[in-house]
Amino acid sequence: MHNAIEVELFGIPRSRAGVAKTTAQGERLGEVLGDLEARFPGLAESCIEGGQLKPGYVCNVGGQRFVTDPQLPLAAGDVVLLLSADAGG
Amino acid sequence: MSNTPGYHGSYLRIDLSAGTMTNVPLAAETLRNFLGGVGLGTYLLLAEGVAEHDALAAEAPLIYVFSPLVGSPLTTSAKFAVVSKSPLTERINDSLASSAFAIAGKKCGCDAIVVVGRAAAPSVAVIEDDQLRIEPAGDVWGLSSRATEDALRERLGGDYQIASIGPAGERQVHYATISHDGRHAGRGGSGAVMGAKQLKAIAVRGTRRVAWHDSKALIALSKDLSQRSFGPATAKYRELGTASNLLTFNRLGTLPTRNFQQATFEHAAAISPEQLTATREKTRASCAACTIGCEHIYAFGGSGASSDGLLQKDAGVRLEYENLFALGSLCGVSDPDQVLAASRRCDELGLDTISAGGTIAFAAECVERGLLDVPWLVFGDGDAVLRALDEIVAGTPLGQQLALGSRRLAEQIGHDAIDFAPQVKGLEIPGYEPRTLQTMALGFAVGTRGADHNRSSAYEVDFSEAVDRRDVQPHEARLAVDIENRAALLDSLVLCKFLRRALEDFYGEAAEMLQAVTGWDITAAELEATAARIVAAKKLFNIRAGWRPEEDTLPRRFLEQPLPDDEQTTLGAERLAQLVTAYNSARGWTSEGWIEPVQQASLGLSEL
Repeated sequence: MHNAIEVELFGIPRSRAGVAKTTAQGERLGEVLGDLEARFPGLAESCIEGGQLKPGYVCNVGGQRFVTDPQLPLAAGDVVLLLSADAGG
Repeated sequence: MSNTPGYHGSYLRIDLSAGTMTNVPLAAETLRNFLGGVGLGTYLLLAEGVAEHDALAAEAPLIYVFSPLVGSPLTTSAKFAVVSKSPLTERINDSLASSAFAIAGKKCGCDAIVVVGRAAAPSVAVIEDDQLRIEPAGDVWGLSSRATEDALRERLGGDYQIASIGPAGERQVHYATISHDGRHAGRGGSGAVMGAKQLKAIAVRGTRRVAWHDSKALIALSKDLSQRSFGPATAKYRELGTASNLLTFNRLGTLPTRNFQQATFEHAAAISPEQLTATREKTRASCAACTIGCEHIYAFGGSGASSDGLLQKDAGVRLEYENLFALGSLCGVSDPDQVLAASRRCDELGLDTISAGGTIAFAAECVERGLLDVPWLVFGDGDAVLRALDEIVAGTPLGQQLALGSRRLAEQIGHDAIDFAPQVKGLEIPGYEPRTLQTMALGFAVGTRGADHNRSSAYEVDFSEAVDRRDVQPHEARLAVDIENRAALLDSLVLCKFLRRALEDFYGEAAEMLQAVTGWDITAAELEATAARIVAAKKLFNIRAGWRPEEDTLPRRFLEQPLPDDEQTTLGAERLAQLVTAYNSARGWTSEGWIEPVQQASLGLSEL
């Protein structure tokens, strides 16, 4: 049974997916990204490939840690943010 | 003609008091050591030898600097630096702007224009190739920069490129900008320096081109870079603009709100570009020679559409994250029309939006605390922000206080006001909350022009896996040095920072570009050393201008007061001091930040 992970999208990922929030399945970051990739063609074209982030994109867990490792374990209740890595001026 | 391709090998030195201009040669070694833009400007500022003088004194130099890449086909290379002492900080100020002024200025046959002295009356410096004439500016004094450009083109001819000041520069507001084609050399008050010289505008037109060492290689590099500039590395800037930071920063607890009393804004969505795009027309524009096109211009006040229904660039408001934050969340304003109106007013008056918003927000907190008797100036009132902007430039008693920036205003108010004045070295803090972005906090503290994100770029470290941005440790200070060096190189080449993620081998690719332009057998390692030299040269100017180690810190608010919705996160004076010491050590300076003669020699700064 996979975790249901809440995902918030910002900037280009939001624009490509057409949603600000969604829920994805997975026990590791790569599985969550893979689920998003399968469901949102816009993300597959731009941000995610083979369950991994493309260059220029990064995730953040709970507004705290920035992460990219697809093997990162996620727990129920984690919130994953998907955003452009150049989160600045 | 210079022996070094890409350069003219000289600069023009204008003495406004005498009404003269001379052509001064630049040594090939100087060009290689300092490149152009901010680097060459810092060298020229130091060489003038007047670091201790008041920033608004007649003898204080105001320097416009081009670069070896200006005029080349490399995308985003049409940029110029403006370097001077800042009236806001009394330390070095280096600001950048883009577009055709850089190309036309370089075609006057120079690598920089140094302006000293003071005109007897409001004037325009008209430079055509290497000839100068000083014309009266009485008819354009009081006009906005855009109106000034239009009027001077009418008078001089349409092919002049013009950099000018608005009413804020004329009144020597300490955070006045210099503007060209709607872009601003924005931070630190270079517009006030220009105003103090009674110089309303510089108009340039020229015919002199430089040679490129290897045109074929340069064109190939340019095509490749342009292609990459259309790709994912710049998608955010191209499709959304920097304003898209707003909601991201709000979610991450890094959006300065109500004079840094909070780091989230409950009305962020209302002023977000996502909301603005849904409710009004938008168009895009580019600087000259740029393939990214990051300018996102929003319709404003029900006007702006032409007969074909398309928004006209000049009729809308160009919105960046920094003006959205400074005139929105920082002042607690949630009405998007009022934020757009304030942005437009800053453009017209020639005010740096970050310092204007920062100073007004600081004043509003002083009112809230009973330290300032201005009952109408309250957080959340967009009309009050507009009134304050107008008073700054009108020179009312309150406006005169606000025109000096938050540090001097705090000094006038007394009590503990300096503890929450949002500035470092007098420069207002941009839209990055230092408590939750602690590498950026270090970058602000040690920044030679004060609290500045663009010269440091340390926020990039915080928004990565490299550090815990809420608990950055001294051994990680090296990361702030590395990213600051990269910024110094980009600002000296000059290329736009929005390209940085398109450069896969940063120093190596920069070396290839310079090789193609100049013919130098230059390596990535040499360029990394050059970047460190340029940062050190800026520090050297500050030391000569009276810098003291205690300047390299943040106001007490950021060191002692947790954020209300993030109480576990602290920075603290002790850890910031440790970070600063580690930064200085990583640079090879003394632990306090002095540059000893031996270090100066090893950096190639002995002659200065």
